[in-house]
Amino acid sequence: MISANQLTKQFTTKERGSTFSWRGKTRKITAVDKVSFEAEDGKITGLLGPNGAGKTTTLRMLSTLLTPDSGKATIDGADLATQKVAIRQKLGVLGDAKGIYWRLSPRENLLYFAKLQGMNRADAERRATQLIDELGLGALADRPTQGFSQGERMKVAIARALIHDPQTVLLDEPTNGLDIMSTRSMRELIRGLRAQGKCVLFSSHIMQEVSALCDRVVIIAKGRVVFDGTPPEVLAQSGASTLEDGFVRLIGSDEGLFA
Amino acid sequence: MSVFSFSRASVVARKEWVDLLRDRKSIFWALFAVSISGPLVLCILYFVAKSVSERIDKTTAPIVNVAFAPDLVRHLERRGIKIDPEPADYRDRVKRGELDAVIVIEPDFQQAMAEGRPAKITLITESSRDRSAPIAAKLSREIERYAARIGSERLMLRGVSPVVASPVRVEELDLSSPEQRGARLLQVMSFYALFAGLMGAIAAALDVTAGERERQTLEPLLTTPVTAMELAVGKWFAVSAVNLLAVTISLTGFLVALQFVPLAKLGIPFSFGVREFAGFMAVLVPFAFMVPAVLLAIGAAGKTAKEAQSSLSIGASMVGLLPMISFLRQSQPPWWDALVPVNGQYATLSKVLRSETIPTLDWAAMWLIPAVIIAIALVGFSRTLSNEKLLAGR
Ligand SMILES: Nc1ncnc2c1ncn2[C@@H]1O[C@H](COP(=O)(O)OP(=O)(O)O)[C@@H](O)[C@H]1O
Ligand SMILES: [Mg+2]
Repeated sequence: MISANQLTKQFTTKERGSTFSWRGKTRKITAVDKVSFEAEDGKITGLLGPNGAGKTTTLRMLSTLLTPDSGKATIDGADLATQKVAIRQKLGVLGDAKGIYWRLSPRENLLYFAKLQGMNRADAERRATQLIDELGLGALADRPTQGFSQGERMKVAIARALIHDPQTVLLDEPTNGLDIMSTRSMRELIRGLRAQGKCVLFSSHIMQEVSALCDRVVIIAKGRVVFDGTPPEVLAQSGASTLEDGFVRLIGSDEGLFA
Repeated sequence: MSVFSFSRASVVARKEWVDLLRDRKSIFWALFAVSISGPLVLCILYFVAKSVSERIDKTTAPIVNVAFAPDLVRHLERRGIKIDPEPADYRDRVKRGELDAVIVIEPDFQQAMAEGRPAKITLITESSRDRSAPIAAKLSREIERYAARIGSERLMLRGVSPVVASPVRVEELDLSSPEQRGARLLQVMSFYALFAGLMGAIAAALDVTAGERERQTLEPLLTTPVTAMELAVGKWFAVSAVNLLAVTISLTGFLVALQFVPLAKLGIPFSFGVREFAGFMAVLVPFAFMVPAVLLAIGAAGKTAKEAQSSLSIGASMVGLLPMISFLRQSQPPWWDALVPVNGQYATLSKVLRSETIPTLDWAAMWLIPAVIIAIALVGFSRTLSNEKLLAGR
């Protein structure tokens, strides 16, 4: 169970005045602006928004990578500001960066993270084997991951996020760059997590994807929450006939959709 | 945040160690090249020294107009120098390097000698060619020795003691013991052992810092309970182990190389035995742990591998220049020179080779100064690892 309350994050960026000026102007951009929502256990919550909306920044704050400028959040009652270690143990994160170690095999990648999560050797090995079987990585399990396809690498990355069997799972655009077959198996996996009673929060910029999976949709645009409800409510609130039109109307423009 | 966990740090260290050694392409070969270069240079130096001494032993003297100075020819032959009479186009051949030096005797040599005028001999050389210099010097020395002999004979004929003509006699007393003379050639060893400890870590440090970021694995790592300090310590330990491997291979290479190059035959009595090996290790172990800490702190600040690589190479070559100061310095080094990293190590290694006793203070400097630098560098490194700005990759 995630509860985010008025989360806000600003970034200062430097702008080059011209090629020859030493110090550019600094500009503050509010990437996430007072974002509040809840994600419940046993439900899939979709964080939907165009590129640059602030999805990754929100998920990074929830996974303790970034410190919010203001606002609060709790995960299963643990406070983001004060209980970072507890939160890191509760969370499984497939973040914006999904790299794996390519000189290590999938099994070694998984065992590394299992040990960092404090699992003992026997548990770690059992869990790694279980995930490798579930994701159909059996034939590749002990080969260096160099040369793996995008889908295979994504599988290793998601298995790594789930290695310590976390109650809450954050997935940042988990189907980005995947082909249809891989996308389908990723969806199956996410549904499987819901069936186990996990709290799943995943982000996407594709309305269809969210509507196909989610029990609840939080739409953010330019850092702000512009909609919070079920997929059918998207149509009702926007007055549009298709989900995609509804999405575009809710975010106020179609700019950023293709950025 | 949370207490430092040694078990998590060692998990990081073990993973990085395995990961690094699997990188055949860059790390493995860099390690190999770095560790083998010292022993290789030693072998090359030995063969150069050997061929020079052989060439000097087998000197031949090309002489033009050899018939005009039979006495000189006899002198040279007695001194074991073979005569090559009347070489053709000798000027060109000296220029081209086919002849090292040529003695030209003037046609009126004997007449001038008889009349007591200075008899002229020209020694044609090419002074810009280092290879020929020892031969030319040897010929010139022999001609002077011949002249001196004639001179003293003349004085004696006139009833004057030859001692009168040499008011000053220079005698060289070389204070360096034979071991010390050998150590000079083998300072190469101090230099290359330090070089191994410096370069052995670069590729590895790059891989665990900028490489980690570039492969997009730093962010997932930081979502686990591992703290930035545990990551820093683990990575430092693994890179240091790789570096120590480079140093050990390099020193072992020296040991092996010295079995095959009989320096004693060149009059360089030299020992690099267990005592010296242990002395080297006592200096190089803390050094091998210090260098990676510094490199990691520098490398982590780079946003891309390329950026990190250039700052690392600059850092490493600056450090590599430090011993040059000791090489070139004419005066006594100041007292604090022993405290400067790299310089201090270099000086202590040289003392080990010269079999000098090393004061306790020097040993303290060899261990305490790296310890302080490691602590500072690791704090800096862990700060960078957890820096939000670098994390988001902007
Ligand atoms: N580290 C950063 N420094 C500066 N600006 C950033 C940084 N991270 C994100 N931003 C900016 O914040 C906004 C939101 O970005 P992000 O959260 O990545 O959006 P999304 O994941 O929804 O595409 C964008 O305008 C982006 O350029
Ligand atoms: Mg994003």
